[in-house]
Amino acid sequence: MSNQLSKSRRKFVKSAALTFGGATLLRQISPAWATPEGLTRSSQNLTPSFGDSTLSGDTIEMAIGKESKLIAGSAGRPITINGSSPGPLVRLKEGQHVTINVTNNLSESTSIHWHGLILPYTMDGVPGVSFPGIAAGSTFTYEFDIEQNGTYWYHSHSGLQEQLGHLGPMVIEPKDGDIGADREHTIILSDWTFEDPHDVFRHLKVAEGYYNYQQRTVDDTINDIKNQGLVNTIKERAMWSRMRMNPRDILDVTGATYTYLMNGRDPQTNWTALYKSGESIRLRLINGSAMTYFDFQIPELELTVVAVDGQPVKPVTVGEIRIAVAETYDVIVKPKGTKTYTIFAQSMDRSGYARGTLATSVGKETTVPALRPMPELGMAAMGMSGSHEMAEMGSAKTNNNHGSKANHSSSDVMPEMQNKSIPVDEISIKHSPDGHGPGASMIAKNPVSRLDDPGIGFDGVSHKVLVYSDLTGAIQWPDNREPTQTIELHLTGNMERYMWSFDGKKYTEVDKPVHFKYGERVRLILVNDSMMYHPIHLHGMWMELENGNTPSPRKHTISLKPSEKVSLLISADAPGNWAFHCHLLYHMDAGMFRVVNVS
Amino acid sequence: MNLRIIFGFLLLTATFSSIAQETPESWPSPVKDSLNGIVLFDRLEVSRNNRDENIAVWDMIAWYGGDTYRLYFKSEGENQQNDGEPTDIERAELLASRLIAPFWEFQVGIGTRGELTSESNMENYAVLSLYGMAPYQFEVDSSLIINEDGDISISMEAEYDYRISQTSYIQPRISVSASLSESERFDRPTGFNAIRVGLRYRMEVSREFAPYVGAYWSRALGNSADKLRSTGDPVHETGIVLGARVWF
Repeated sequence: MSNQLSKSRRKFVKSAALTFGGATLLRQISPAWATPEGLTRSSQNLTPSFGDSTLSGDTIEMAIGKESKLIAGSAGRPITINGSSPGPLVRLKEGQHVTINVTNNLSESTSIHWHGLILPYTMDGVPGVSFPGIAAGSTFTYEFDIEQNGTYWYHSHSGLQEQLGHLGPMVIEPKDGDIGADREHTIILSDWTFEDPHDVFRHLKVAEGYYNYQQRTVDDTINDIKNQGLVNTIKERAMWSRMRMNPRDILDVTGATYTYLMNGRDPQTNWTALYKSGESIRLRLINGSAMTYFDFQIPELELTVVAVDGQPVKPVTVGEIRIAVAETYDVIVKPKGTKTYTIFAQSMDRSGYARGTLATSVGKETTVPALRPMPELGMAAMGMSGSHEMAEMGSAKTNNNHGSKANHSSSDVMPEMQNKSIPVDEISIKHSPDGHGPGASMIAKNPVSRLDDPGIGFDGVSHKVLVYSDLTGAIQWPDNREPTQTIELHLTGNMERYMWSFDGKKYTEVDKPVHFKYGERVRLILVNDSMMYHPIHLHGMWMELENGNTPSPRKHTISLKPSEKVSLLISADAPGNWAFHCHLLYHMDAGMFRVVNVS
Repeated sequence: MNLRIIFGFLLLTATFSSIAQETPESWPSPVKDSLNGIVLFDRLEVSRNNRDENIAVWDMIAWYGGDTYRLYFKSEGENQQNDGEPTDIERAELLASRLIAPFWEFQVGIGTRGELTSESNMENYAVLSLYGMAPYQFEVDSSLIINEDGDISISMEAEYDYRISQTSYIQPRISVSASLSESERFDRPTGFNAIRVGLRYRMEVSREFAPYVGAYWSRALGNSADKLRSTGDPVHETGIVLGARVWF
């Protein structure tokens, strides 16, 4: 290799020295040395990071390594599982018993967490909570019964390894093997960076807004003055800056460093899913990214949602789904004729997208939609709905306000949703007396239920966007008891210093786990006191979302919009210690994490 | 027999639930606290004033620590080119810092200032600072300084970043100093001593490296100004600056 390099350099020096009109020549041979692909020769020898293999059966072997692989055309060093990143599809069957031997070939400890699976807590794969982790060079054997079916995924729960591609899809077939469609495709979305994840974390810690290149500038202010007048503009800007909050703080890590991947492929590589004319197709959508909410659509194709987080729901047909980090959605699509469709997932902050194609043969592609404009948080994000200030400001900026959006996307379609009372509306929430301390730069003055609100970023969208209030469980869940224990947790943060916590306290600042009494029915109330979206994940037990529908949908990951409150019912039927955390990787690592002890 | 089964079951449940609660100490913490740090030269510049003097200026902070407690080093100073005078250190401070409110740190430390000469007459002092972001997003560093002689002085700096584009900014900046008690030794009468106002236009080459151009105006105030006038020295100064904001 070094020989090759020096040889080409020598050749270059020689030809440059010998040639008149060297500039032309320089341009011709410059790729060999002057571009970031200085290692082109070796890059060409690299295999792509994705492998697309499937693992099934009663005994599965998985080997974790770190290899140089081709990602989005450049050489990266992802963590691989059996040589690929994302790892192989683990395909199991409901009712089976599985043994999974995970061998760690890394130089550091690792783990695999089976996201969404109901299993004994010692098999859950969270270092420090369920087991000590898998030490370098050793093998850990996971062994458990598969008691459910649906679309799930797996990922490392050690440090920031997930950001390095240590993740993969997991599908569990129902006992009867019926996939509910003629064909199925599994789509796992992820965000890749060539930076060291620890550098990413440091940038967030020491330089707020490091990755945000869509901030408000003088142009936005001038536009606001044109649209809503000087006085309202000044009032609104003054409000945000007095609070020291940033309405463009949508995602912490953006397309400035991320390449968004669909099944390991960048948008140019264009992953293709094939179908035959007349088929119905089940798409198993998994958001396996570290930090990115995706808005998923297939232009000109309706998505019929049949399962959420692996669990069946009554079919609901939409045009677009916001997939929070770690959520999964199963949708049925019915392409027309032999048409070619773009599978499009834009990041919530519109800084980039993942893309693939649904077609009848490989090599086809069609128009890729333009990214929608960068959304901006409305006053509702501050939890001011109903307050005097909100009334004042709301009129100033209805366009960018989420409220107008909710109207057209959900209440128009299902007006009855709006009036349905849900338990959380009746429950008054409490902030800790110190306003959650210095770790919380904001408390929501008046948090509300926003389950019928699709959130920001759907202005001018004419199709229906899925909202949580659309979801109804397809079957009756086994436990119908009224809750006997209520637990309230607030989602708190201080963006300026990148501190993230529950109730203003990081994981390292609390001495006790959250306690669920074994056998009880627990009502968990979550209040988002921050300006950001948070996907909150409970390990080991389902959370039934009290959205007013019966049966309620059940989830392993629940996304909360800024200043939103939700209530969830949990059957504390799984003894042991379980992780409970924000599934934004760097929020979790910053301390937005708890252990739930069921005993 | 039945009793034995029930008893056995209870024992089993008890054992099981006690196992469930135990996390061996040898296990790693699922989430660790992180320690971070930064060295930031907010101003690293050459200025040219209305008397055609070229002055090199630095203004830096560095910190290391966690979310709540941090160790700070702050330093600021200037050196006029070719004037044969030594470098003037306006401050060199080492502080312990604690986060007391979401946007504010309270800092306590020691510092020194003066001209860096061999027969140095440095002013050593203790310092209390309130450091952070005020409402309306002004970055503020205000200090109360008590020197060895017990003289008390105050300094306050505030700056604001106004975004022109995603990578360029207009930054107004103001600094004011005042003395609560007179210091003959260090030539500081009571009252306001000086004010300095600056405006810089900064363009990021990267987040870490951002060159800028700007201008400033400064003048002595109150008794300090009178003193300068009495010796025929100029009371105010204007200048242009060329520099970079750099961090690593």
